[in-house]
Amino acid sequence: CRTSSDGEPAKFQPPPKPVIIDRQKQREERRFLSPEFIPPRGRTDPLKFYIERKDMIQRRKVFNIPEFYVGHILAVTTADPYANEKANRFVGICIQRGGKGLGATFILRNVIEDQGVEICYELYNPRIQAIEVLKLEKRLDDNLMYLRDALPEYSTFDVNMKPVFRLDHEEVPVNKLQVRMKPKPWSKRWERPKYNIKGIKFELPEKKMKEAQKWNKPWLEFDMMREYDTSKIEEKIWKEVSEELKK
Amino acid sequence: MRLSVAAAISHGRVHRRLGLNPRSRLDLLRNLVTALVRHERIEAPWARADEMRGYAERLIEYAKLGDTDERAMRMANFWLTEKDLIHKLFKVLAPRFQPHPGSYTRLLQIPNRDNLDRAKMAVIELKGNPFPPLITPRRDTDKTLLNQLLKGYRQDMQQAAAP
Repeated sequence: CRTSSDGEPAKFQPPPKPVIIDRQKQREERRFLSPEFIPPRGRTDPLKFYIERKDMIQRRKVFNIPEFYVGHILAVTTADPYANEKANRFVGICIQRGGKGLGATFILRNVIEDQGVEICYELYNPRIQAIEVLKLEKRLDDNLMYLRDALPEYSTFDVNMKPVFRLDHEEVPVNKLQVRMKPKPWSKRWERPKYNIKGIKFELPEKKMKEAQKWNKPWLEFDMMREYDTSKIEEKIWKEVSEELKK
Repeated sequence: MRLSVAAAISHGRVHRRLGLNPRSRLDLLRNLVTALVRHERIEAPWARADEMRGYAERLIEYAKLGDTDERAMRMANFWLTEKDLIHKLFKVLAPRFQPHPGSYTRLLQIPNRDNLDRAKMAVIELKGNPFPPLITPRRDTDKTLLNQLLKGYRQDMQQAAAP
């Protein structure tokens, strides 16, 4: 039998109790409704959105579109008649998700052989054969268009990258990376408050930053009519979509 | 082929252009909202009252979230320039409109202003105010064809049931 360093017989330590993680409950608590399901504000007939949603659910039953946000690194294989294997694989970071309904798109960016390449894919395009999420990480902004004016090292991703394995379906980690930019001029004036970018490390002089704040509109956050409260609409659509997908 | 486009097409834009610039438009509407919360019934040009109606109703919805809510307090602080009205909003108006889910204001048109500009005026009031009621146009629903036929049918049924 075991003796401890003191020379006395060791006290019986019971084995640690197994921690039961209820996967079912966790998965139910975490709901993700893809942003293209939420109809935009306007005067169009809801019937149009209903029909579109039916088609989107139909496509999702056949083809799995994973949950992803802006900042994830995805690999997309499309059917291409002129490629060798009739399939074309592109790896890139998602910089923007636009469009609503069946025309929803996402732009993947990568730098291949010192040339920046951005491809805009449609989520519900029947030519797409597979979408794999290689790395899950959210960024501080919703729109990473400033990567065009950032140093190319922030947009380069290995084409043969292996998918990073994530076990828990709990939280998507947020990467608080502050990106360094190329010298000005940029394609857009990212320091202005209208873009509200938190993910850039601005190395501009203080004078320029103060001048950019001249375009600040502090009354815009109090303009109540511009807010679009989607919580109730989301609830309804979530119920509809999850019921259809379970069938 | 008509090449000139009418200048009044807005293509889905919902905000009217009031005042000098967007900041002044919000200031104008803020003054009107403060006056509405203070007096509960005001006369104003129809366009301004119509713009203001949406903001007033959303302000009351924010107030329904409660006093302790940080966002509600910031909104009320911005929108009500006279700070004693913040107390009235949260303690008097929010409980008054708690049971109602939707519209809290009433907008009715008034004869044009007597000045040189003859502007289209409107009166906007919060429902449940202590003043005597306004003259709302009521459509006499008894004289429509369908209601008259239903009335006749009901009378026939009663006569057939109790001869």
